[in-house]
Amino acid sequence: MRLFVQAVILGLLAGGVYALMASGLTLAFGIMRVINVAQGVMIILGAYVSYTLFTHFGVDPFLSVLFVVPVVFVLGVVIELVFIRPLRPSEREELSLLVTWAVALGIEGVLGLVYSTTYRSTIPSYANAAWRIGGFAVLQVQVYAFGLSVVILAVLGVVLAKTRFGRAVRGTVQNPASAALLGVDERKVAAIGFGLSVATAAAAGAVYGVVTPFNPGSHYDLISLLLTIIVLGGMGSLPGTVVAAVLMGVSQALLATYISPTSAKLTFFILLIGILVVRPQGLFGAVERGKL
Amino acid sequence: MAHRRGGSLVAVLVAGLMAACSSSSGASSSSSVSGGASTAPIVIGISLSQTGDFSDPGKAAMRGYQLWAETVNGSGGILGRQVQLKIADDASDPGQAVTNYETFITKDHVDLVFGPFSTLLSVPSAQIANRYGYSFVEPAGGGPDMFAAKLPNVFFVQPAPVLACGDPFVNWILSLPADQRPKTAAYVSLDDPFASPIADAMQAKFEAAGIQTLARTIYPPETTNFTPIVSPVAAKSPDMWVGGTQSDDAYAQVKSMISLNFNPKFLYLSNGASSPVEFPSKVGASNVNGIFSCGDWFPNSNASGNQDFISAYTAKYGGDAFGIDSTSAEAYAVGQLIQAVAAKTGSIDNQTIINTLHSGTWPTVEGNLSWDQYGMPQGSDMLVEWIDQKLTPVYPADVALHTPVSPKPNWGG
Repeated sequence: MRLFVQAVILGLLAGGVYALMASGLTLAFGIMRVINVAQGVMIILGAYVSYTLFTHFGVDPFLSVLFVVPVVFVLGVVIELVFIRPLRPSEREELSLLVTWAVALGIEGVLGLVYSTTYRSTIPSYANAAWRIGGFAVLQVQVYAFGLSVVILAVLGVVLAKTRFGRAVRGTVQNPASAALLGVDERKVAAIGFGLSVATAAAAGAVYGVVTPFNPGSHYDLISLLLTIIVLGGMGSLPGTVVAAVLMGVSQALLATYISPTSAKLTFFILLIGILVVRPQGLFGAVERGKL
Repeated sequence: MAHRRGGSLVAVLVAGLMAACSSSSGASSSSSVSGGASTAPIVIGISLSQTGDFSDPGKAAMRGYQLWAETVNGSGGILGRQVQLKIADDASDPGQAVTNYETFITKDHVDLVFGPFSTLLSVPSAQIANRYGYSFVEPAGGGPDMFAAKLPNVFFVQPAPVLACGDPFVNWILSLPADQRPKTAAYVSLDDPFASPIADAMQAKFEAAGIQTLARTIYPPETTNFTPIVSPVAAKSPDMWVGGTQSDDAYAQVKSMISLNFNPKFLYLSNGASSPVEFPSKVGASNVNGIFSCGDWFPNSNASGNQDFISAYTAKYGGDAFGIDSTSAEAYAVGQLIQAVAAKTGSIDNQTIINTLHSGTWPTVEGNLSWDQYGMPQGSDMLVEWIDQKLTPVYPADVALHTPVSPKPNWGG
């Protein structure tokens, strides 16, 4: 029972961070039908920027989010304008895979040149600290990261639900043609939406570097994890992504505890295939274009 | 209203795309280091990874090779001929490495070839060299595949094959009085051809000696979250923790143990913990003490030419002796061997090199080396331990600079 509770605690905390990482991916798909396979490298980019700020200027990785997010937001808008906008809408879903993959490889190459392939780690004073609560280890950095995820996802949720921009986004997701007729500038929504989606990834990256050693190639492991999460949650569904991310975190921890880390992955994919057979649209995905 | 296209299509597209993109090829570039004015330099072709996964060790090997070439040229070359290195980038791609060696041998007609970094690249490259009768003296590439290929032209310039990395630790533990030995052990390894076999070999020997196995866990290379893996093993409180690790996973295992406040009495990590600069920077310098690993080269060793190597290295590249990557020493040792053969036989003919190195013991910065018929070294690695935040050889006694410290101090101690 102790092992079970410990695994659930660790899994929940990890799942919270997965949710932040994957939320942008589902946002980009919901708004633009773009499958952004560069989402993983954006996380790693965020990790490197945060690492640099910490090692050279002593900026706390969580504080560095305030710098990382706007910088990567601008980068995201530029990527949307230069690489994604020219794609024909009818082929966007497929071509976006190729284009964003090229972006990912390009950014990986630049990071490799600047930082080399050596693994890096951001180590603030609390990096390895844990609270002992009822005999269970609760890792401080994961709690902070979980908290950051909750705050950013809550802000994202409020922006989408309450603001004019959020209404434009939801309108575009539900029916781009009607939204355009009502005066929504779809191009502007797409650029800002894509910028936001990669900025959330970079925010997650700032804390990823504290939890896990990383190098420019680490994004390959991340993107497969994130794609799994958004497929499970239902592509384009933000609540679905959050639920799927937490499910992923907890199931990984439980399977690693009770079966083995190597078969955990296989077991998880068998479950995923089973769910997709019953619900091809994922846990929360709409069968038609619908709610974000 | 557009219907959502199936997630399965997307998944297939992504999988296909990733598979297509996972193999990269690199353009070849070449550079040369020429030492002087000789009209007939000895040209040596070397494929090294300057980009891709092996670019860090590839560059370290290049520093070692170039330092050796400059040193030997500064002292008049080999047999009165200057040495000229012809280095081509293989982008960490085995196919490109093979192409590079084919080009060196058939188009450039180089006198000799030296090995690249990683067994992945070395095995197919050595086969090419063997086909053309070239010797293949290599600084890295000591994985089981290399010796299974049964190539007579190969010489792995390290004291022991990769899979024997854990032997010094096993021998030391089993040399302890029974009441000081660990009673229980856990083996936590990366699913990798170099990492988990080391831990498996150690487990077999420890079990044969009566040390009970409490857990054996193998994790996939794409693991990003280690705490759920370390947590159930730590809950069993093994006396000894053996990690079959490579690099980042070693750092992550240690970080998880610290977070979970689990401190085994003996902690061995096959790789990653043996990096004098990287390891403390990843896990925190105050957490390294008492951790064991294996090493093939050490700055303080009194191996042949080692102090000259260190002086020349620090003069050329800066830094101090403890910042030198062992791969640079391994590459330098490759050159030392060729010099030694030339001094002994008056020739650098490939067949002469192959025949000559197959007998006797050869002093290098890597220690005194000898090989079996397929280039497997016959010596032993060193057991190294972090003592006072410095990586120190502790076993066997003839190379030790300190006695092993056990049990492991607490984290931060």
